[in-house]
Amino acid sequence: MNQRWWIGYSVFALGLPAVGLAIAPALGQSALAAYSMRVTSGDDGPVQPDQGLTLREAIELANGTLAPEQLSEAEQALVQPLPAGQGSRIGFDLPVGQTTIALVDLLPEIVAPELVIDGTTQAGYDGSATYDPKFPAAPAVSLTVAEGREVARGLTIAADGVTVRGLSLYGFRTSDRATKTTPPSDIFVSALAPPVDSSPLSPALELFRLDQADLAPRGVVIEQNWLGLPPDGEFPAVPSAFGVTVFNAVETTIRNNRIQNHDGSAIITGFRADGLQVSENAIIGNGLAGMPDAIRLEGTIASSAITDNLICANDGSGIYLFKPEGATEISGNAIQYNGRRFERAAVYLMGSDHELSDNFIGYQPGPGVAVTAYPLSHRNQIRGNRYAELDGLAIDLNTQGNTEVQDFQKGDGPNPPRNSHHRRRETGNAAINAPQFDAYSFVSGAAEVTLTGTADPGSEIDLYRVAEPGFPYSPLTEPLGTVTASPEGTFSASLALPPGTRVSAIASDPEWGTSEPAAVAAVLAADGTQPDLPAIPVEPPSCNPPTPPPAPVDPPPPLEPLRLEIPRNIHFALDRSNISTESAGVLDQIAAALLEYPVLTVELHGHTDPRASVAYNLALSERRALAARDYLIRKGVPMERMRIVPFGEAQRRSEGSGRVEYARDRRVEFIFTDVRGLDIIFLNQEADLQLE
Amino acid sequence: MKGVPLASSGEHQWCEEWSQRGGVRRNQRRLYRGLLFWLALVLSYFLSHAVPPSTVAQAQSQIFVNQASAQFVGPNGPATTVSNQTEVSTLTPPGPPPGPELPLLQITKTADRAAAEPGDVAIYRLLVTNLSTTQPATPLTITDQLPLGLLYVPNSVEATPQQPTQVVATDSSLTLTFASLGPGESVSVAYGVLLTPDAVRGNGRNIAQASAPGFTPVTAAYQMTIRPGILADCGTILGRVFVDKNFDGQQQPGEAGVPNAVIFMDDGNRILTDPDGLFSLANVLPGYRVGTLDLYSLPGYTLAPNLYRIEENSASRFVRLSPGGLGRMNFAVTPTFGEEQS
Repeated sequence: MNQRWWIGYSVFALGLPAVGLAIAPALGQSALAAYSMRVTSGDDGPVQPDQGLTLREAIELANGTLAPEQLSEAEQALVQPLPAGQGSRIGFDLPVGQTTIALVDLLPEIVAPELVIDGTTQAGYDGSATYDPKFPAAPAVSLTVAEGREVARGLTIAADGVTVRGLSLYGFRTSDRATKTTPPSDIFVSALAPPVDSSPLSPALELFRLDQADLAPRGVVIEQNWLGLPPDGEFPAVPSAFGVTVFNAVETTIRNNRIQNHDGSAIITGFRADGLQVSENAIIGNGLAGMPDAIRLEGTIASSAITDNLICANDGSGIYLFKPEGATEISGNAIQYNGRRFERAAVYLMGSDHELSDNFIGYQPGPGVAVTAYPLSHRNQIRGNRYAELDGLAIDLNTQGNTEVQDFQKGDGPNPPRNSHHRRRETGNAAINAPQFDAYSFVSGAAEVTLTGTADPGSEIDLYRVAEPGFPYSPLTEPLGTVTASPEGTFSASLALPPGTRVSAIASDPEWGTSEPAAVAAVLAADGTQPDLPAIPVEPPSCNPPTPPPAPVDPPPPLEPLRLEIPRNIHFALDRSNISTESAGVLDQIAAALLEYPVLTVELHGHTDPRASVAYNLALSERRALAARDYLIRKGVPMERMRIVPFGEAQRRSEGSGRVEYARDRRVEFIFTDVRGLDIIFLNQEADLQLE
Repeated sequence: MKGVPLASSGEHQWCEEWSQRGGVRRNQRRLYRGLLFWLALVLSYFLSHAVPPSTVAQAQSQIFVNQASAQFVGPNGPATTVSNQTEVSTLTPPGPPPGPELPLLQITKTADRAAAEPGDVAIYRLLVTNLSTTQPATPLTITDQLPLGLLYVPNSVEATPQQPTQVVATDSSLTLTFASLGPGESVSVAYGVLLTPDAVRGNGRNIAQASAPGFTPVTAAYQMTIRPGILADCGTILGRVFVDKNFDGQQQPGEAGVPNAVIFMDDGNRILTDPDGLFSLANVLPGYRVGTLDLYSLPGYTLAPNLYRIEENSASRFVRLSPGGLGRMNFAVTPTFGEEQS
């Protein structure tokens, strides 16, 4: 033991010159020389004096681990000293056509405070080519991994005030090896980041400390980047693992980025992420083969905020708070078409004092907002949001200490009224009762209708209009107004509502939080009839960036059944989930149809033959559906229009036990739906049947 | 409120039941042994009656009068049969080739019970006889090796007709010294032993040895069946599944437990973690136990690398569970990517 300690110490001592330089800036004790640098070479490799300045050399210069004198004359000309007190700046002046920097190894950790890495300085960047701050203009400079190499992280930031702007980062992941690796990311923000794996080459671990809050980098800004996709917007050949990992940093700002196509979460926090600001990002199609939630908050997240983002077509929840410490504010986001692979709540809350306001939450195969029963989660204010097309309640408070698997994904459905004070201790938001209307229908008066009901005394009742059919619960479409319950626990509201309107309500109490919605009540005409209101037009699912302002007005699509001659299934070989050449041809037809008709959505049902165990087959069927989706994604089909549903061996195609029957069972079925609610005609095909 | 780790286990390993089953097996074995004994007796009966017994043979045989009788209801009403008599040869078995024979001691060992449980006090009796016709055994030393878990009850030695000159007792052995045992004389020794819970791990076989200068040492063994009684030797396995932030394999503050994670044991038992990510498994058979984390039960997570101990990068945990012992199986996980690619 003693010996190990001495070895560690000697490693520490040998590494001291570099480590000392690395630590000092983080502590703010010594000022580094600041330079303004222009990266002119997209090559990567060892630092050496040559013709062009590489990004690696620029970062080492800023870190102070490389002196300008160690470079060539040509390179020194690209490095201009800046007055003391400023941070270094890295700009780009890459030759036309060589704007991709392909890394062969990890870049050095950025330890220079206030360093700015600015991809918008590259010639050819057009910052005005955007109409929505959520969708920044395509970066001109991209940072990726050289072919055949493996780099776990794009940029590793360990210093205060570092800004990363206008870059495209993609392709950062690790492959399986003797041990697992720490989560790879496009951008990893942490003081003294953990080594990638535990190989003997990793740095000495004595330095890896999480508990010292003052070492955590403060005020890092990540803006106007494209993370996980190249500047052409195509699905990358090698998808990144995670987008931004805020592992151990405070007051990090992530704004105006497009974060797409990650195997894991777009933004994930680790140990400490106090003061995290995530605003105006487009977070689309992440969680494809890993942590499925778009934004996953763990660790300490005090005074963090997630505002005005588009969170669309991710595989799990839009935002999942997993046992965090501290409260977050979630407002102004559009959280839609998530849950492509896991039927989870659009927003899953654990912890207390979170605020959800002014969000649009919709098109989710689960509830809108779920609040856990355990660990105790109280005083979550969920007000002013709009909901649409949910498979569950708009707000679902888990009750009676429910902690089963489903409860941590989809919630547990409507709660009974509180019948004991113990319910407060085992229910999300302390079991605040949902309001209850006095009747399922109210007859409208001359101008107004008076809605009456009961709720917890003193709570504020937000009344909602409900546009979708569905009884007794239906998504809360739009807020109508707020009344306060009397001390006796009754409320009454007079509103001018057209007959046929359906209403619901939620109750909020600052002491407890927001309740589940009330059962829907209808407003009847004076003669007691309920007229049908005109149906709301259905929009095709879309996560697309907004079109330029003079948008061409599409003619309304004809409302007639589509007559599509498209196949609806593909087959697989025994125990395989790869796409055969014949199946690829079938998938090409399906992709063409999906691209032609934007109103089509599709569920990918994976199936297997009945051999092997149920659990194995369930996993195999999911792999098959994922493989088919992966192919379609690469053909350009938007992710928000596809959902994965694995069935395992539960639904066989055939009944026999011969080779042909089993081959028919091994399939993925494509269940097309037209979002306008019309039927489609499709064909079964067996051209790609693969006998064992 | 939630502090007590919930043991959420589908099926327990019923250690208790197993050992009872083992007891049944042992009882059956005893039954077989008894049957064999009776078979031998019957055989000897037939053999002794197959040839007309000679007077020499009769002189060297001993007649046992059996006490057993059986009653049954036959076709002619209730009937009683009595056992036959048993004749056993007392001829000494062929010994080692004659040489300069040492005088013999004889030792016999019995106990007051054939089976015992922890907490019982068993009484052993030793009878040592000097078979020599001329030579006294001076001094006579009797050593008794106690099996694991049996403790000599202090000052419980009773010897007749003579008293030991020295009694040395350690945890596992008892040594008695007598001044002298004359030719043809016997000495009887009785003493008590206490069965501790450790006895269930021992074999219950007790060996006594008598020796004296100039005599061939002799030994006698006594096998006592040890039943577990109200004690079980089952162990407990504790563990947790948590999100490791510093990749050291230990759960610190800020590292949340993962609910509903599945751990499979080597015998197929499936264990779920509680909402805090903890699990405990009672009544586990001692021995080498292996548990592995079912990653399919925690989508989005995989095993975390352990940057400090190479061993804990394994997907399974291996514990050596001592009887009544406690084992730990901790699983550190971290968010994952690229899962289940075909």
